[in-house]
Amino acid sequence: MSDQATIGIFLLLTLAFPAGAMAAAWLFRPAPIQSAEKRTPYECGVDTRGPSWMRFRVNYFLYALVFLAFDVETIFLYPWAVRFQALGLFAFVEMLVFIAILALGLWYAWKEGALQWY
Amino acid sequence: MPYGLLAPEIAVTSLGLVVLGVGLLSRPRPHPAVRVLAVSGLALVLCWVALTFTRQASFFGGVYQVDSFASFFRLLFLSAALLVLLMSGRYAARFGPRLAEWYAFLLFATAGMMVMAGSGDLIALYVGLELMTVSFYVLSGYLLADARSAEAGLKYLVLGALSSAVMLFGMSLVFATARSTVFTAIAAAVAAPAPSPPALLAGIALLAAGFAFKVAAVPFHMWAPDIYQGAPTPVTAYLAVASKAAAFAALLRVFLAALPGQLPDWQPVVALLAAVTIVAGNLIALAQTDVKRLLAYSSIAQAGYLLVGLSAANPYGLRGVLFYAMLYVFANVGAFAVLTLVEVDTGGTGLDSFNGLGQRAPMLAMVMTVCLLSLAGIPPLAGFAGKFYLFAGAVQAGYLWLAFVGLLMSMVSVYYYLSVAKAMYIGPAERTAPVTVPSPARLCLWVCLAATLAIGIYPGPLSALAQVSALLP
Amino acid sequence: MIGISHYLLVATALFAIGAFGVVAKRNAIAILMSIELMLNAVNINFVAIDRYLAPGGALGQLFAVFVIAVAAAEVSVGLALVISIYRQRRSVNLDDFNLLKW
Repeated sequence: MSDQATIGIFLLLTLAFPAGAMAAAWLFRPAPIQSAEKRTPYECGVDTRGPSWMRFRVNYFLYALVFLAFDVETIFLYPWAVRFQALGLFAFVEMLVFIAILALGLWYAWKEGALQWY
Repeated sequence: MPYGLLAPEIAVTSLGLVVLGVGLLSRPRPHPAVRVLAVSGLALVLCWVALTFTRQASFFGGVYQVDSFASFFRLLFLSAALLVLLMSGRYAARFGPRLAEWYAFLLFATAGMMVMAGSGDLIALYVGLELMTVSFYVLSGYLLADARSAEAGLKYLVLGALSSAVMLFGMSLVFATARSTVFTAIAAAVAAPAPSPPALLAGIALLAAGFAFKVAAVPFHMWAPDIYQGAPTPVTAYLAVASKAAAFAALLRVFLAALPGQLPDWQPVVALLAAVTIVAGNLIALAQTDVKRLLAYSSIAQAGYLLVGLSAANPYGLRGVLFYAMLYVFANVGAFAVLTLVEVDTGGTGLDSFNGLGQRAPMLAMVMTVCLLSLAGIPPLAGFAGKFYLFAGAVQAGYLWLAFVGLLMSMVSVYYYLSVAKAMYIGPAERTAPVTVPSPARLCLWVCLAATLAIGIYPGPLSALAQVSALLP
Repeated sequence: MIGISHYLLVATALFAIGAFGVVAKRNAIAILMSIELMLNAVNINFVAIDRYLAPGGALGQLFAVFVIAVAAAEVSVGLALVISIYRQRRSVNLDDFNLLKW
């Protein structure tokens, strides 16, 4: 089978899956209730009020900082994972050390209260 | 591969992690053991490096080099870190609950410097450089309550990241022409005697600009006085001494190990940078009334002297760079140690805080005077011997005018160095109480004083060490 | 046909835009973004050179991975410093940070 055909099948499957899920929901759901609540942008959570150009708590930024650092550091895991077989035990131990250092960083952030929401 | 030779880098990094962990376990007040741990750990690593000095190895296909050049700079960074730790005791009380992190960041910065000195590859060099500078961004902004410190941290970060980007672009152009990032492979690929391709020339220019920024050479110096003044004084001491030496180690590695064939291209540029840096650094220092800022401009001028050795690019000048970098550690840390103690005592770093120090603390005044005169290059102190090697190298390489500029400006520098001595000995004394000097700081002062005198009177051993360690094109 | 020179041109243009942003913008966050642009220009350079001029070694890709990771660390520290300075000065405009003369 050619590569194009594989891609085509994947494309069809990815289209079919959400269509199937929505069709199933449409079949089995109870009769829909119409209300004003249904037309708000977010059905759950707090309603937005006032302008969206507002000040956020600094916690958002701290969360984002911690996330940014850890999210990007995992970039080193990808090349290692791709060549896992060829790199062998030494690289595995190296990665464990790397993750241990990241874990220490996470522990620090935790103790520092950067993960606390208040 | 003899991994024992990588032990210093691994040990310093692990020590930083352990210090961080101990600090976390002993919240909210960091345990006093943290300091003992950091100091004794660094001392052990220093001994290990000294004992294994003669052993050499090349790791990962030349990506990392443990040679005498790397070992020389490891000794330099470790001694500087130890001296700064010893002298910072009372000042570090200002860091409050963040004391353990201060030690950890200092250790991480040291690890980064050691990687820079040992790198045999552009990637390793970049990672070491960033480990060092990111640690320094944090340390510069360490006094959260002090607006000037935070400002210094942010400015350093913006300008440091900018210069890193410029340097990286230069590295990418060198990579494009040499098709490798390993120094030996670059040297082999671009060694052809034909004129260097324009892409390589552009790469060298950008690299030179990036490095000129890192060593604070004029006209890329504008960040240095602000950051030096705003950062906590022990951080400034470490920044002025070790980070400058690390940048020089990396500069020597890149230009002498990877681009020796392009010597005719970069040599005149470095000579010009050196001259401009010496003249501007010394002349602006004349106008300073704050000792911290004065030492910042003085350190800019000192970077100019070191560049003289690189522009000479002969055994004499390159030995001089290593020799001078080492003696500069003792002279400058000594001066900053006195400044730190005076700042803790009087709360200020202006020239007037030094008034009457000659009566209040004769030892501090003496160490300060000796260290400053060594920086000025007055015989028989260490600075004289160092400048002698640098300028002699320049003369040998045909840069007579450069040696002349350096000599002339050294004489000018005596004026502002002596202005501090003047304040200490004949300034009007408002305070009379003696300055208390804790014993670790006293040890640091004695070491700096003894080293400055000993190297000046008997330069033979250090000179021989610098000679076997010097990297040649 | 797209070749190495196209990539290098794009990277150089991006680098120049970033450099202009650092010089022209006064907002600390915008400056950090401009620096990111410059670093990403360098990444394009490395990956393109790796693909066209030095294939097989993956050195350029490796370099780009390290640049990405280090840039993230740098920006994290930068944003943390911006937050700490904002708490004191209520501003992120670099022109307002004038306790130390530039």
